[in-house]
Amino acid sequence: MRIVVAEDLYLLRDGMVRLIEAYGHEVVATAATGPETLEALLTWRPDVAVVDVRMPPTQSDEGLRAALAARAELPGLPVLILSQYVEQLYARELLADGTGAVGYLLKESVFDADEFIDALRRVAAGGTAMDPAVISKLLSSGSSHRRLEHLTEREHSVLSLMAEGLSNQAIAQRLFLSDSAISKYTTSLFGKLGLTDDDSSNRRVLAVLAYLNEP
Amino acid sequence: MNTRQVTSWAARAGGGLVRACVVLVLSMVVPAVWAATVALGIRWGAGNPWSWLPVVLVAPLATLVLSRPVCRAFRSLVTRWTDTVIAPGYRQAPPVVLMSTGYWWNGFSYERTHRDARLDQRWRLRWNDPANWRDLRFTAIVPLTAGLLAAVPPAGVAAAVIGMAQPALPARLIGVLGLAVAIGSAPYAWRCVEPVAVRFLRASAAMELAERVDELTAQRADATIAQAAEIRRIERDLHDGAQARLVGLGLSLATAEKLMETDPEAARALMREARAGAATSLTELRELVKGINPPVLNDRGLVDAVRALALDSPLEVTVSAEGRLRLDPPIESAAYFGTAELLTNAVKHAHATRARVSLARDDTGIVVTVEDDGGGGADERPGGGLAGLRRRLAVFDGTLDITSPAGGPTCVRMAVPCASS
Repeated sequence: MRIVVAEDLYLLRDGMVRLIEAYGHEVVATAATGPETLEALLTWRPDVAVVDVRMPPTQSDEGLRAALAARAELPGLPVLILSQYVEQLYARELLADGTGAVGYLLKESVFDADEFIDALRRVAAGGTAMDPAVISKLLSSGSSHRRLEHLTEREHSVLSLMAEGLSNQAIAQRLFLSDSAISKYTTSLFGKLGLTDDDSSNRRVLAVLAYLNEP
Repeated sequence: MNTRQVTSWAARAGGGLVRACVVLVLSMVVPAVWAATVALGIRWGAGNPWSWLPVVLVAPLATLVLSRPVCRAFRSLVTRWTDTVIAPGYRQAPPVVLMSTGYWWNGFSYERTHRDARLDQRWRLRWNDPANWRDLRFTAIVPLTAGLLAAVPPAGVAAAVIGMAQPALPARLIGVLGLAVAIGSAPYAWRCVEPVAVRFLRASAAMELAERVDELTAQRADATIAQAAEIRRIERDLHDGAQARLVGLGLSLATAEKLMETDPEAARALMREARAGAATSLTELRELVKGINPPVLNDRGLVDAVRALALDSPLEVTVSAEGRLRLDPPIESAAYFGTAELLTNAVKHAHATRARVSLARDDTGIVVTVEDDGGGGADERPGGGLAGLRRRLAVFDGTLDITSPAGGPTCVRMAVPCASS
């Protein structure tokens, strides 16, 4: 994959580049400020970009805004946001355009390199990679909470893993169940939520996320 | 007119007459001293070398000493008769404290003994008080205003008594007229004392300033104590949490390095442990930093930070705000943590299910209102969360209004004055 890395702290940027290259992917450009990030994204159009939220010049949400601006220009440009914090508000903004190919993870998700690279691959393929903390907050927020009341506990855990962006096989592995059991649960919960169960797993996840993102 | 009206009128006239006499006597105390000393000086005459003494020395001294008790008496009379409370505004005695040097500090100077410090303080408080000038001015003004008017009913009574006793008709007529004036004016003549006292006896600008300084001093002490406690808490959290974990992390890595050759499997397990430790200490640091300065508040300002707060709250919270208010960071921070506290209270104590937060600017500053549909009955215990919130807002001259009847709903309004940016 061709990857852009935007991170203002040299140590982290360097470490991330080395990690990505260790897995045989190519880092085509790096950026350390908001404007640089936007420029790199629009110029290189990478397969996926790793972007930090807080960057110079303002040390506020520069990175997030650059990513959103780039995606407004190039809809569906795959971006994985890495941050010290995961905020529901930012997650909802990233999901708002409904095109997918977004990820939002805590910085320490790079500790588990395999998982991190897998998340990059998922986002590059148009899928999603959402931090479990964000998903659990999305699921328990006031409006969702009421609409998810009539799901069983098992359906609830399948839904949250699906919303994180995991495939059916991955969910099956996590919950120690068979693939067929998982597809049974997904069918029933899609029925309960009144969503159409799409064959493509990415579109299915987007449907779930859009559902959770409704105010 | 029936008898009841007549008796009530008579009672008011009688009471008014007594009050008028009291006002007259009180306002004439100091002029009477002057008159007496002048009369004494005239009686001693030019032949006596000391005849100037009473007028030049005794009368001014008596005026100085008497002005304060006279003013106190007027204040208490006005309060008793009309329920109008006039703040005395005299300088209050600061506490006398023993310094580490062994001297006593009384707010003005250092003295060797406690008794000296008290005496010195009493003397300075009495004679350096800006209120003295106000009292002197009042004692000069009151005989010419309230005193003069209060003199009308007693003068009428005197005219009636003297005039009626004369056999001549004109004198008797004057007596009847005096009686009519006395009865007519008695219920009203003393009332002039209230506006005069309110106008000339209230605290001067200097006193109000002094009070404000006291208030600010107390607030500053509060703020510094709170800040120090906060810094201590942060230090403790860092020391017991992240720092300790990093030490553990270093230890694990050092051990793993040692075991690399001999027992790679154990080394790998240690590395995994170290990774988990790093993740945990990051989580702890994140929580800590969130409590100091929430990231969304830093990135986006108050409105979006409150929106993020609403999303994270288990309640159904609606946020209404005018545009993107940007205020000074300290004020934003106070408003944010105040809102967070109120939403937490709504969950924990009121067991609410919905809440509404509205942020608005008016011409004086920012107003944040938090309403919930919970059980109400919120009360402000000293040392409790709401009292702490009031103190935090007071640092910015902000106010906190709580309406929370038992059974709900609760509505809390925080207002902080600030210039529009």
